[in-house]
Amino acid sequence: MTMDRETLKQKLKEILVSGLRLQDTDPASIADDQPIFVEGLGLDSIDALELVVLIEEHFGIAIPDEEVGKSAFASIAALAEYIGAERDRAG
Amino acid sequence: MSPTVLAGRRALVTGGTRGIGRAIALALAAAGAEVTVTWTHTAGDAERMRAELAAGGDRHEVSRCDVASREAVADFFRSRTGDRAFEILVNNAAVTRDGHLMMLSDDAWNDVLATNLTGPFLCLRPALRGMIARGFGRIVNVVSPAGIMGKAGAASYAASKGGMIALTRSLAAEVAGFGITVNALCPGVVDTAMTAGIAKEARDAMTARIPAGRLGRPEEIAHAALFLVLPHAAYITGATLAVDGGLVTA
Repeated sequence: MTMDRETLKQKLKEILVSGLRLQDTDPASIADDQPIFVEGLGLDSIDALELVVLIEEHFGIAIPDEEVGKSAFASIAALAEYIGAERDRAG
Repeated sequence: MSPTVLAGRRALVTGGTRGIGRAIALALAAAGAEVTVTWTHTAGDAERMRAELAAGGDRHEVSRCDVASREAVADFFRSRTGDRAFEILVNNAAVTRDGHLMMLSDDAWNDVLATNLTGPFLCLRPALRGMIARGFGRIVNVVSPAGIMGKAGAASYAASKGGMIALTRSLAAEVAGFGITVNALCPGVVDTAMTAGIAKEARDAMTARIPAGRLGRPEEIAHAALFLVLPHAAYITGATLAVDGGLVTA
């Protein structure tokens, strides 16, 4: 299944809100370049573990370690870029 | 134990073809779990274990995997994701290469740490992803009184087991919010092939130090492991459960 970057970003915002149970956040209100953790959406490193698993489940893309996670989770745009690039590489 | 209490749960016991690991695997299978055991150097025991588990059904698996090998562990877990992911992990595989520290070779030190401490780390990393996805997990790390009290002539083994106790506590706090418990199980001196090889005099001296006045039986250790993985043990995490006839507290 191919998905352009814009659709991918929307999908990621929905996964973030439903998967991490951010009831008070509207997916549309998350900016593409907003940091996902701590300073941005206020999620912590434990939420990151859950997000790693969610990304693997939804896209079949592994975030193998902390270093990759740090850059991939910088923002929704960065995460979409990472997933897109990994898919292109696999595909 | 009811044969349904762990029905539908998938369990992995590393180093599960003899001694304590074997007893734990058989107890989990008897409680209804689908059990996979790994082995490295014990081909004969693996065959016997395969037959023993097969007698209880065809859901069980005996697989060669050296937990000290990054590649072997990655290969092993590659096909065990999604529906095949483990909900129960018993890190039991361990080796000893005893000797006075001053004379210990790099290899002897590294081998013990690689199997006993890095091995569980390598297994935990992929296993946790499946457990977090399901919101349920039971991890039991088999440690040793040496990890608490130390043991002359076995510094590497004691360090690896002490490290596992610290890992247990740290990981327990990390994943408690996901329905995953992480506990250490600390068997005392247990009557296995390993202790059967000890000379009678040394064995008697060892027994004299145990308040219960006897060695433990593998089944007694397995019973405690089973207790820790039950769904109802959800609020026990980060603990080190001694099953040692009073040895450590004496």
